[in-house]
Amino acid sequence: MATDPPATTAPQAPLVCIRGLRFTRASRVIFDGVDLDIPRGKVTAIMGPSGTGKTTLLRLIGGQLKPMAGSVVVDGQEVAKLGHGELYALRQRMGMLFQSGALLTDLNVFDNVAFPLREHTDLPEAMIRDIVLMKLEAVGLRGGHQLLTNELSGGMARRVALARAIALDPMMVMYDEPFAGQDPISMGVLVKLIRLLNDAMGLTSIVVTHDVSEAMGIADHLYLISDGKVVEQGSPAQLEDSASAWVHQFLHGEPDGPVPFHYPAPDFFEDLMAGEQ
Amino acid sequence: MLGMIQRLGRWGLSFFRRLGRAHLFLLEVLAGLPSLLPRPGLVVQQLYSVGVLSLLIIVVSGLFVGMVLGLQGYNTLVDFGAAESLGVVVALTLVRELGPVVTALLFAGRAGSALTAEIGLMKATEQLSGMEMMAVDPMRRVVAPRFLAGFISMPLLAAIFSVVGVYGGYFVGVGLLGVDAGAYWSQIQDKVDLHEDIYNGVIKSLAFGFVVTWIAVYEGYDTVPTSEGVSRATTRTVVHGALAVLALDFVLTALMFGDI
Repeated sequence: MATDPPATTAPQAPLVCIRGLRFTRASRVIFDGVDLDIPRGKVTAIMGPSGTGKTTLLRLIGGQLKPMAGSVVVDGQEVAKLGHGELYALRQRMGMLFQSGALLTDLNVFDNVAFPLREHTDLPEAMIRDIVLMKLEAVGLRGGHQLLTNELSGGMARRVALARAIALDPMMVMYDEPFAGQDPISMGVLVKLIRLLNDAMGLTSIVVTHDVSEAMGIADHLYLISDGKVVEQGSPAQLEDSASAWVHQFLHGEPDGPVPFHYPAPDFFEDLMAGEQ
Repeated sequence: MLGMIQRLGRWGLSFFRRLGRAHLFLLEVLAGLPSLLPRPGLVVQQLYSVGVLSLLIIVVSGLFVGMVLGLQGYNTLVDFGAAESLGVVVALTLVRELGPVVTALLFAGRAGSALTAEIGLMKATEQLSGMEMMAVDPMRRVVAPRFLAGFISMPLLAAIFSVVGVYGGYFVGVGLLGVDAGAYWSQIQDKVDLHEDIYNGVIKSLAFGFVVTWIAVYEGYDTVPTSEGVSRATTRTVVHGALAVLALDFVLTALMFGDI
């Protein structure tokens, strides 16, 4: 039974409050009664096996998808009930880092970071230049502001996308699989940036990932999602101490356990004999 | 038999669902047009890529179509001793029919396919989603300027096509086959009516511009976000765009010139 969300505008209240969330795609249930709070000013990691709907959760928080039941409340506003103007006003206070970076390919690095500033503000070009260079400096790419998007490596593209996501000084940033497919150095840079930006800018960060060690190292609070439900939550230390065999298997990457190595199948011997007959 | 009826039903439902989505999409695009008023630069940029970059194919095609009309028209008219009327045959054929129709077909192939591929790839690479999350409405920022640019470009391109075609006919008829230059131009001046011919041609090209650009931006926006999906959407733009132009041309011609 979903509990009522707390008032989320108070300074200490969670920034994002999800209650009784249900979402399905065709006949597949993605979320079935998920309750989840994202505390303000913290880095919260949402982990789970591939295909559990972690990215879908970010899209529900950003209002790109609507829940079938339940509520997603961001900073006191129920996202699904907002009109077009209110939703877009709320999104100006959110940043999102897509797995692909989602940079605009017809613009260079500088113009990509300047894009939200030019769209939403009337700042003079000189000031936009200063802000863009400051944001690029923060992600270590000020020297590459004239590069085209096709000249960037995967890690660099994500850093540019991160600079763009924080261009309007949002209250929260959502990271969709920021570490996927990164080499160790890029991974280290991204881990450092997420923590640093969160603390320096007073952000609230939501990191969706299945990279256990990075998530455990960076997050203040973690949620483990599987089969449409929150399986476990807590600090990294609390998760390490979890009694759940599933959590243990997931965190340590064990090949067999509650999630079996074998796909359900009839008896092996009988299966082989069936071929003989 | 039952299976066939089921398939037909499924096809029908899917067709009407798509048609409904396309109309809702159009309403959203039209609602987004006023947001372009304070930002004419967005439309000018698209006028360049949709209109100006289509000029070469339009001019070259117009020239050749005009030359062929001049040649074929002369061969027919000369048998009746009416070669002096070549100018009006070329001009009316172009202004009333071939100008708007051939321009629209070329436009669907050149600019329509480019629009679909561009928007489709933006969707496949999450650029449209990224814009939404940056609180920038892609319908207003991406789709509406392209739609308006296509709508404005088409009559201008069709006019250029017709003018170049008339000169093509002049080149063959007067330059090569010896038709009197004065007769060529004076017949055009005398017989081509501003309301009956030119306005109707402009209305046709506006209608074709509306439909072809609508199909192109819709197919791009509705594409399945994979490389195969974009490829299919681009093909659909050209095929559906061409069929829509030809069908619409018959309806408009019947309304404007026919006694049906």
